[in-house]
Amino acid sequence: MASVSYVEATRLYPGTPDPAVNELNLDIEDGELLVLVGPSGSGKSTALRMLAGLEPLDAGKILIGGNDVSSIRPRDRDIAMVFQSYALYPNLDVAANMGFALKQQGVPKHERVQRVREAARLLDLEPYLDRKPRNLSGGQRQRVAMGRAIVRHPQVYLMDEPLSNLDAKLRVQTRTELVELQQRLAVTTVYVTHDQVEAMTMGDRVAVLRDGFLQQCDSPSTLYHAPANLFVAGFIGSPAMNMLPASGAGPLRIAGADVGIADDLGGERATIGFRPEAVVVGEGPIAARIRTAEDLGSEVFVHLVIDHEGEERRVVAKVDPPFSGSADDNVAIGIRGSIHLFDTAEARRTTIEP
Amino acid sequence: MIGSRQRGSRLGVGESRAGMIGLGVAAWMIGLLWIFPVGWTLLTSFKTEQDASAQTFHNGLTVGRYSDVSHSTTGTLSLSAAFTNSLVVVLVSTLIVMLLALPAAYALAIRPVPKWRDVLFFFISTKFLPIVASIFPIYVYAEKWNLIGTRTILIVLYIAINLPLAIWMTRSFFVEVPRELIEAAEIDGTSLLNQLRSVILPIAAPGIAATALLCVIFAWNEYFYAIQLNFAGASTMPQWVIGNVSTRGNFLAKLSAASIIACLPVVLAGWAAQKRMIRGLSMGAIK
Amino acid sequence: MTTAADATRSAPRKGRVGDPFGSAWRRRAPLLPALVFAILITQLPFLVSIYYSFTNLKDKTQSLIPEPTKFVGIDNYKAIFSDSFFRQAVWTSVQMTVLSVVLSLLVGTAFALLLDRKFFGQGIVRTLLITPFLLMPVVAALIWKQQMFSSLFGILDKVLNFLGFSSVAFISSHPLASIVTVLVWQWTPFMMLIMLAGLQSQPSDVIEAAGVDGATSWGIFRQLTLPHLRRYLELGALLGSIYIVQAFDAIDVMTGGGPGSTNVPYFVYEESIGGGFRYGSASAYAIVVVVFAIVIATFALRVLSGLLKDEDRA
Repeated sequence: MASVSYVEATRLYPGTPDPAVNELNLDIEDGELLVLVGPSGSGKSTALRMLAGLEPLDAGKILIGGNDVSSIRPRDRDIAMVFQSYALYPNLDVAANMGFALKQQGVPKHERVQRVREAARLLDLEPYLDRKPRNLSGGQRQRVAMGRAIVRHPQVYLMDEPLSNLDAKLRVQTRTELVELQQRLAVTTVYVTHDQVEAMTMGDRVAVLRDGFLQQCDSPSTLYHAPANLFVAGFIGSPAMNMLPASGAGPLRIAGADVGIADDLGGERATIGFRPEAVVVGEGPIAARIRTAEDLGSEVFVHLVIDHEGEERRVVAKVDPPFSGSADDNVAIGIRGSIHLFDTAEARRTTIEP
Repeated sequence: MIGSRQRGSRLGVGESRAGMIGLGVAAWMIGLLWIFPVGWTLLTSFKTEQDASAQTFHNGLTVGRYSDVSHSTTGTLSLSAAFTNSLVVVLVSTLIVMLLALPAAYALAIRPVPKWRDVLFFFISTKFLPIVASIFPIYVYAEKWNLIGTRTILIVLYIAINLPLAIWMTRSFFVEVPRELIEAAEIDGTSLLNQLRSVILPIAAPGIAATALLCVIFAWNEYFYAIQLNFAGASTMPQWVIGNVSTRGNFLAKLSAASIIACLPVVLAGWAAQKRMIRGLSMGAIK
Repeated sequence: MTTAADATRSAPRKGRVGDPFGSAWRRRAPLLPALVFAILITQLPFLVSIYYSFTNLKDKTQSLIPEPTKFVGIDNYKAIFSDSFFRQAVWTSVQMTVLSVVLSLLVGTAFALLLDRKFFGQGIVRTLLITPFLLMPVVAALIWKQQMFSSLFGILDKVLNFLGFSSVAFISSHPLASIVTVLVWQWTPFMMLIMLAGLQSQPSDVIEAAGVDGATSWGIFRQLTLPHLRRYLELGALLGSIYIVQAFDAIDVMTGGGPGSTNVPYFVYEESIGGGFRYGSASAYAIVVVVFAIVIATFALRVLSGLLKDEDRA
């Protein structure tokens, strides 16, 4: 168990113009589950592989437990990794797969067998111990990959999108089990995913990456309510935050209506954002037309169009059922929740609370 | 900051530049030692006969031996005749081998006949009979049908000796073609020929090229049938090379020159296609 | 609408369901040209050989009109079992084949491991390494005979003398080793290519996982790479054996036969058109060899290897 630090860590792939990971600074606490999230190409997998020692650093350093491991080979770093493709050893059975690392360390056989059996019990793998990977289902392989990691007692667990190859239902189920497991084992874990829902539900803290740069690293709640910039605001939360251009001086006008906000950030105001749950349908100063209404049973998402600054803009509202509007109805909507103001550099500057 | 060196590192974690260079040096030494006999022969081909026999350099380098072997003396096989014979025999036999092997591979891989394993085993087993044993019956009948000394008999025999390998390899490449593509083509009613052309061949092309290259190599270099079924003055390149081994006088330089000429086409073809051969082999020769 | 459907139904194409021969023959048809060709060209001489093996056919090559030959039953076959020269040829064949296949597999694998890493000029080194396979076997044999082994011209001799050792008459003193050297030199690249294909088909993430799990390079090789390479080794051994057991050119060029280097093909050759002209008994030898080869290969393919085992497609 140890802390992990990225210090100005940089990786530039030969032949490419921009670094895949650009001067990343991140401090991960001992026992924390930190999620690296971002779209593809954001550098999250590269950052994980740098921690694993599978990618070299071109600048900066990486510390595990306070020690600089930047030039230490993966096998000497005392880490365990779960690969997206599981990377199970094809010629070994499940028990041998899970015991492989222990065997390399010279752990005596009876202890190996015992620890493998323990992990297998935790993961419901006991009936499969003598099967080869090719005779396992996707979910079973995923658990073997997990078992291979938890049977060891490393300083850090690394997980590279371990759930993305599972079907949706299994994914949700495994997610909670994984979080419980991590809390029980209390090992520092760095977890990579492209799915922001996964990130929000699993991480103690979430680090959002984009094009190799760290955007923000905070608790899920802070990310949701206080996003550092436009990208984080739009990436976190589903359905995405509603965003409207709102440049110009003076009071804010949405679709021509005055919503009672005078702040223009000294002329720097460029965009505003508000989440679907902040929209009220049925009353308010803004004229809108309903496109569709998605009734999920527990909530209803209403998709609307407004005429804002001369263009048609889409707005999503989240309302409680029942909802009686239908397509092409004209309604009035209002905003009764936080409105975030973003400046011309896409940074969030202030949030107007209701 | 990355600094002035705006290029990423190619070394892995824990690898050293010195290690990589050391490996490169060792590899180069091994490669050069391995090719030494060929290199030495190449060098010898540019010497005079005196120098060649004595392993000296007194007379410098010359292309004289190359012109010697290119201009044939009476009674011996001429280079142009032997070259043409070889070219025709090799190209025609390889073409026909592929024309036979591709549909056969289809019938063993894509829509397999029930006993495909047995069929495959049969083809391989045709290579178990030593060609030295079958040469007599073949000679008898070839003579009967006036095929001795013709290109036809060699073409026919080279097809026979290359067909098993061609079928084995092509089959294993066809196995790699994704099932769904075939099924989609079947649903569309595509004929076998069109399936081969538009679906299978584009995917299996590197493997098929590798197979064809191997057939060319074996056919060009084949010695036994060529010697036994041809007259002294009408044969293929291997026989032409042997014709430069003489019992009188020094012939080492001339033989070296002849060897280089004879092997050059296939060597160049092999050099050009080696990447494709590896890719083709790793695609699934191993199934 | 119905009429159009009826029209297509009434003109059955080959392979429609309901036509009992359609489907089976449609599957077989593409195979037939190759199959017919192979049977004609290889089985007919085989059958003729079988016929000859029961006769006392022998002749001078000048006149190929067979003299009246007698049917001698299994006399030829009986003679084989008491023929010590044949037994020696079989033993030489076994040694030659096993040594050549094993050595070229070892060296080929070593070269493949070397080429699997990156270093400067890797492509050129690979080109140098595969060249011997592309040469004519007679040329390869000649090169080794004249340039390397020869006591008159050979380089190896000069090197030995230079280092203070006395000359060695390689070919005459060590015929089998000389032939094996040439065979290994020529077939190593073939094995190397197959093993390279094997190494490159290994999924890289499995290797990375092993590294993270603490395995050393040697550990990874022993526990993961070698098992993965098994099928490739088997394929190399199978294909290599099929070709190497027939080795002829090198023997003809380097030693012309002789006690240490006559393998079965050369033995049969000497028995028939190579000097003996005893076609009947030569055919008997050949048939015995073929039977053995089929037995061994059947055993190897069906029982030992998984080369054909795990596929069954509809």
